[in-house]
Amino acid sequence: MNSELPTRYEIRTERASARSAPSRYGAVFLMFARNSLVRDMTFRANFIIEVISALSWMSMYLGFYILIFEYTPSIGAGTGWGKYQFFAFLATTLFVNSIVEAFFMPNTEELSELIRSGGLDFALLKPIDTQFLVSLQRVDWSSLANFLFAACLLGYSLLKIGHVPGWPQLLLYPLYVGCGVGMLYSLMITLAATSIWLGRNQTLYDFWFYITNFSRYPREIYSGTYGTPLNIAFTYILPVLLVVNVPAWLMVRPLNAEEWSLAVYALVATAACLALSRWVFGRALLSYRSASS
Amino acid sequence: MAAAAIHASPSKLKTWWTILRICIEERLVYRGDFALGTLMRFLPLVTQVFLWSAVFAGTKQQEIAGYSYRDFVAYYLLTNVARAFSSMPGLATGIARQVRGGEIKKFLIQPVDMVGFLLLSRVAHKLVYYGVALAPFALVFYLCRGFFNGWPDAATMTAFVASLLMGFLIGFYMEALMGMLGFWMLEVSSLLFVFILFTFFFSGHMFPIDMLSGWLGWFFRQMPFQYLAYFPAAIFLGKISGPDLAWGLAVEFAWLIALIIACRTAFHYGVKRYAGYGG
Amino acid sequence: MAIIEIERLAKSYRVYQKKEGLLASVGGLFRRQHREVQAVRDIDLHVEAGEFVAFLGPNGAGKTTTLKLLSGVITPTRGMARVMGHVPWERSNAYRRRFALVMGQKNQLWWDLPAQESFRLHQQIYGIEAAEFERVRDELTSLLDVRSLLGQPVRELSLGERMKMELIAALLHSPEVLFLDEPTIGLDVIAQHNIQTFLRHYQETRGITILLTSHYMKDVAALCRRVVIIARGRIVYDGSLSGIIDQFSGHKVVTLVFPTEVVPTGLERFGEVISHQAPRVKLKVDRNGIGELLSAILAEHTIEDVSVEDPPLEEVIAEVFSSIAKEPAPV
Repeated sequence: MNSELPTRYEIRTERASARSAPSRYGAVFLMFARNSLVRDMTFRANFIIEVISALSWMSMYLGFYILIFEYTPSIGAGTGWGKYQFFAFLATTLFVNSIVEAFFMPNTEELSELIRSGGLDFALLKPIDTQFLVSLQRVDWSSLANFLFAACLLGYSLLKIGHVPGWPQLLLYPLYVGCGVGMLYSLMITLAATSIWLGRNQTLYDFWFYITNFSRYPREIYSGTYGTPLNIAFTYILPVLLVVNVPAWLMVRPLNAEEWSLAVYALVATAACLALSRWVFGRALLSYRSASS
Repeated sequence: MAAAAIHASPSKLKTWWTILRICIEERLVYRGDFALGTLMRFLPLVTQVFLWSAVFAGTKQQEIAGYSYRDFVAYYLLTNVARAFSSMPGLATGIARQVRGGEIKKFLIQPVDMVGFLLLSRVAHKLVYYGVALAPFALVFYLCRGFFNGWPDAATMTAFVASLLMGFLIGFYMEALMGMLGFWMLEVSSLLFVFILFTFFFSGHMFPIDMLSGWLGWFFRQMPFQYLAYFPAAIFLGKISGPDLAWGLAVEFAWLIALIIACRTAFHYGVKRYAGYGG
Repeated sequence: MAIIEIERLAKSYRVYQKKEGLLASVGGLFRRQHREVQAVRDIDLHVEAGEFVAFLGPNGAGKTTTLKLLSGVITPTRGMARVMGHVPWERSNAYRRRFALVMGQKNQLWWDLPAQESFRLHQQIYGIEAAEFERVRDELTSLLDVRSLLGQPVRELSLGERMKMELIAALLHSPEVLFLDEPTIGLDVIAQHNIQTFLRHYQETRGITILLTSHYMKDVAALCRRVVIIARGRIVYDGSLSGIIDQFSGHKVVTLVFPTEVVPTGLERFGEVISHQAPRVKLKVDRNGIGELLSAILAEHTIEDVSVEDPPLEEVIAEVFSSIAKEPAPV
């Protein structure tokens, strides 16, 4: 082979596509969502059972908190988390979790299976971002049942509190729910990607569940000698406490200066989490070994 | 310890010992899983402690349903011990999957009793688990010793240990029974879901079930789920004592016998049905 | 300038070695023994555009690993490879639009949906124009005769039909290079034949480059002019199929037909008797000096018919594989 010969096979740049990249990714996602729905509707009975199961877990939890509020007027003294404020908080938790469970959970769970069986090969062959492909290829529509439940719960709670959030808050709320989803997704995909290195990782999902467990309560409950360090760690280092708290504040009360600054920090934290998880995912892919069937 | 048919013939014992050893080895392969899993068991406890501390701060009372703040923390610590005995992750789904996938044939061909095998494999799992988990458990309890009023007396302690061991068996036979529904139903996941929901809330894992009053509380206390978490913890804390305790243990034992019989019967008829299909 | 250039490409894995025994398992909790497995060792290979190359080799020889390296699914330990000028493991979208990998043992179609839904998804992922997509899909489905099955859920298709659908999915974006890993594995003879016919036709009309691994010599004989034998991660042969016999087999098979049912004795002198069905006798003889041997036989015996053949290819290859397996492992 003579290196001075002109190379016939030049690296081609992206074939000029009629559509821009974002719209192509949008079209692919719609196709994922559509195919998942078609699939769900083929197994309708199963779908209904899943909806019922999601709703009953929720009702059980709600029942537990109703029981707690039988014994106390608020969670924490002077924190402002009365029964209906807390229910609004719960609704926010539900919004975030139902989105994560509908769009990301089935895929990240699938990811370690794909790694184990070597099925990730196909994702790596496609001329589309691999992380996008493996994160979104299945949509679990039944998980969105809790989304509707959350909407009702939030509406009812706000009615009971008698507080009407202003326009800025109403606009910021979906943004911060989105940030919460982004942070949880980052954590999830990072954990899932590590199964390329660690192999089977059932406990990683337990870990995810346990860590996100911290996000399910108002930030104020983590106080005192042991609580404060936890509070700081889960706010600034692994920001799971910002996932639900920030959007929930927006709905139930005016934010104070510290809370506003945390709201700004939440935006930065989301961006950092997403960037970090993307880096880890990329690193992990380099070590992918592709099991033979 | 098992009510499974372990006859005392030496060769049989040797078979079971081999099975137990292989199961332990298999468990040890997933080392990373193990170390992490043990540590993480205590994470939910942390949030519960903070939640109840905040609840007590919110209310002006010293006790909620007869439990002080210290009692609550002690209760959750103890339910963790109880669940370490009674939880059987993946047992029911595993059995159902084996039935559906035809792997169950293995047990019909080989001279090994399936229920006994599964029980031993769980014993192995638990032994390895305790081996690894004993240190973190001891550490957590030592750090949290301030939440307890010292050790209970010997009789209470004996009852506590008995309830833990029976809790393990009740947990096993309940899950196994659930899995064996796979002989009759193609899709057991929906029923399993209800079962998991019940064990989560009715066992007392989430809150002491005597917090509930009225018919709902009465209903909770009639179910066998309480033996998986609430009952041992309540014994240790002295919530149940004297004749109540003896009666409670007797009822637990009756439940255990009933579950063993149900499980054996289900397996017997399930296998018959399976063989009948020629599957 | 070759379309595929591989230079000193190597891939090794670390495998955890589990020791037997309970104590060793406990020990494994703290310290693990690893072993280095070299799947591909310093392979050099050049393939020209339009070639149809077969990779042969025993299980675990490194064929599939090589294809995976060339597809960019895994990254090499060292060495270089370029396919159409791209380094595969850089995984650039430009490269991924120009090739395809089909694996007979894995499927990528949505199990519960009709194949056409998966095809539409491919259209979106590869950004194929609607008109082009429909043209290619219709062409491929009629070539493979699966048009009527497009609307059936994949799980209801037979193995052969599913493989055809997998092929179509891989070819929708008209790749210039195609990697086929055991495409006919587990298929019946008819389905195998259909896929062979299709592949030959497709490769001839499109002039694309194909690399194929297969255990079926029929596939290889029907499709590939060039054969690369890989064993223990190394290339041990690169050439034509018939060349394998020249290089690896030192003997030919001579069939003698005698005029009467009585076959003379003493034929062992000429070569190993491999079958004896009077009046027909097959002899395995050294390929050098076959002429002298024949004249010696003809001088001694009356022969009605004689034929000289190469030994069956499968046999030769099986011999090659087993002789490689007997060699001591390279370090």
